[in-house]
Amino acid sequence: MPAASRTLTVGATLVVGAAVLTSPSAGAALMNLTLTVAIVIGWLIVVRRPDSPVGPALAWCGAAVAVSLTAEQLAAGAAGDLVASVMAPVWVGLWPVNLAGLLALLLVFPDGMLPGRLWRSVPWLFGLAAALVLAGLWGSVVVDGQVAGRDAAWRLPATAAGVVGIGLAMVLAVGSVVARFRRGDERIRDQLKWLLLAGALTVVLLVGGWAAELAGASVAAAYSPFVASIVVVVPAAVGVAVVRHDLLDIDRLLSEGAAWLVALALSAAVFGAAVVAVTQLLGHWTAIGPSLAAFVAALTLLPVHTYVHRGMARVIDRDRHVAVATVERFAADIRSGRREPEEIEAVLREAQGDPELRLLLADNGTWVGLDGVRRDDVRDGEAGPGGIVLESGDVPVARLDLARDTARARRRAAALLRAGWVPIEVSRLRLGLRQSQARLAGVAAEERVRLERDLHDGVQQRLVVTALRLRLLQRRVPDEHGGELDAAVGELLDAVEELRRLAHGVRPSRLDDGLGPALASVAAASPVPVDLAVADELPDVDDARTHAAFMTVTEAVANALKHARASHIEVAVEGARDRLRVSVRDDGTGGASGLVTLRDRVRSVGGELTVESPVGGGTTVTALI
Amino acid sequence: MADDAVLFREGLVRLLAEAGHEVVAAVGDGDALRVAVADHAPDIAIVDIRMPPDMDSDGARAAVDLRRDHPATAILLLSQHIELRHCLDLIGTPGFGYLLKDRVVRLDEFDDSLRRVAGGGSALDPQIARSLVHARRSAIDVLTEREVEVLSLVAEGHANAEIARRLGLSDRTVEAHMRSVFTKLDLHDDGTTHRRVLAVVTYLDARGP
Repeated sequence: MPAASRTLTVGATLVVGAAVLTSPSAGAALMNLTLTVAIVIGWLIVVRRPDSPVGPALAWCGAAVAVSLTAEQLAAGAAGDLVASVMAPVWVGLWPVNLAGLLALLLVFPDGMLPGRLWRSVPWLFGLAAALVLAGLWGSVVVDGQVAGRDAAWRLPATAAGVVGIGLAMVLAVGSVVARFRRGDERIRDQLKWLLLAGALTVVLLVGGWAAELAGASVAAAYSPFVASIVVVVPAAVGVAVVRHDLLDIDRLLSEGAAWLVALALSAAVFGAAVVAVTQLLGHWTAIGPSLAAFVAALTLLPVHTYVHRGMARVIDRDRHVAVATVERFAADIRSGRREPEEIEAVLREAQGDPELRLLLADNGTWVGLDGVRRDDVRDGEAGPGGIVLESGDVPVARLDLARDTARARRRAAALLRAGWVPIEVSRLRLGLRQSQARLAGVAAEERVRLERDLHDGVQQRLVVTALRLRLLQRRVPDEHGGELDAAVGELLDAVEELRRLAHGVRPSRLDDGLGPALASVAAASPVPVDLAVADELPDVDDARTHAAFMTVTEAVANALKHARASHIEVAVEGARDRLRVSVRDDGTGGASGLVTLRDRVRSVGGELTVESPVGGGTTVTALI
Repeated sequence: MADDAVLFREGLVRLLAEAGHEVVAAVGDGDALRVAVADHAPDIAIVDIRMPPDMDSDGARAAVDLRRDHPATAILLLSQHIELRHCLDLIGTPGFGYLLKDRVVRLDEFDDSLRRVAGGGSALDPQIARSLVHARRSAIDVLTEREVEVLSLVAEGHANAEIARRLGLSDRTVEAHMRSVFTKLDLHDDGTTHRRVLAVVTYLDARGP
């Protein structure tokens, strides 16, 4: 195939080259020279994408026109009368050749012929129709712009049938583009959109040309943008589509270009209507009309553009529009409390269509996942390949790592990041809050352990030593002072007991023996029966969490005794995967409120506290830690 | 005598000497304690639970080693607060006691406990005994208030006569209460104090809530 591609393209190059070199006039040479654009871009495609049939097809778009032009010039006598006499009967019927290249391009762009007998038959249909036209017009001459044919009964129907056939072939070729767009994947669609953009521009310029001609411009000036578009813009668009289809955001180019165009047309219509309305109203032409109309048109331009742009985005850039809408809906759900911001990664994966996409949050110069776990495979502060960084000011907030990394995927991801900015930032702040709470809880737990030890080994020890010395002294003083020393020792022992209770409040030292023994002493101290059930195997949790579990029981029991007038309390501690589940149930009056401090305490170690307390139905306090 | 707090250690050494005991060694950590016991084979080792180098339960761990290596030496553990982690298996065994430190200044009680443990009996701090008894809710539910008091004193390691004295009852009344308690809790009473303590402690299940 590559060899055939090259051969075809070489052929096209030779045809155009010959046409340029044999041009009879400077004008004709210029015309032929413009065709070399198609040749050059065709070669570019052949070199960069040797397997693609688009290169030769594009080259022949130019070459076919060159053939037609050259035939016309030869018939006009450019190469002597002999050649002219040979070419004269042919060239009038040769015009379908002009369309051959375009037909081939439409059929093969961007990745070869579509499979199926229908599409394969289109070139044959075209060839047959072209032959009919050639036969029908054989020997005709153009006189004063009118075709003067030879008289034969079959010629007119043959020509007509040929024209219909060519029209049908062209319609089918356009149909193949439509079919391709409908069946194609994202890449094919992107490529076709480039062609659509160039085609739409060409049509707009053609319409503009008509308008300019009506307004009195010369034909050359009116249509030269249109011609330039055909010979330069369309081949360029084809080349970009095949070689670098994601060079620019084609969706946005299309939708924004179209949106501005439509908005402009609408506001021009408004302008015209306003002028007519004012003139009608005042009964005569006045300068107020256009001024007022300009004012009205300017007023309507922006809202019309916004509205049209949104509509266009929905039609042309449907995928991204839907994806962004998914993220925006999610943000709205968070505002109304239906979802948690931490679900953002799953939402982005769905919207981006990339199930392995990863959202990382900035945390003091490192990147962490939504769970707060540091990702060591990511280098600090660098986006790296497949990474897009979201910044707030100059400070990085989050980054997306794409598993499917294309320029298009990046553009969509960037749009999604912008749409998801609030949930992402909230997730990051909440993560920071949880981490700092956990750090504080850890520090507080260490502090409590230290304080408890200091109380026991420091102050308490010294009080005991002092009591001991008083006892030693007691043996050396007369008996009448003995009672006083006894009282002093008694005071010290009371102080020791009080200190022990204080230290227990700071942190019950029975926790050293484990949660079970510590809770047993709580149950022992309760004036109403406490049924204590502690599972044999508990998850291994740190001191801060153990203490929080202990506090949950003591606070809930105290609450049951103080407010609920309970007569029986059940305490259960068990493992729930890697968490502790602590529940305290009483048979009291229910309707409990408060426990706010306890809730904060449990949350500070990453736990959840739930209180069920129907009036008259007892209270159940459950903590998952 | 092993305690890293020098003032307390020296004070207690003087107190013991004045009470007529002979202190053969006063040391400040678990390793020195092991060496001293091996050297002197004393009647009893008085050991602080928290000692260097870990300032954790070095004393309790040393006590477990002593019991294995020198079963003839009785052990009395002291601590500032209840901490049973490493000495659960020793509780209720003959010649073992566990008191809170401030008990030492109640001279008579302390001396009593000391002699009891050195003689192969038991001594548990009333706070510990109380928390053991009360932790077993089913025990409290079936016993009378008086029986709970008796049970706690048994757990502390006291003999019937001492229990009778403390509660202001006759020996026979205490014996009757004891029979009642042991029947209700389905325990076996073979008359020796430390076996009674062991039975009670095992029943109260100091090894868990």
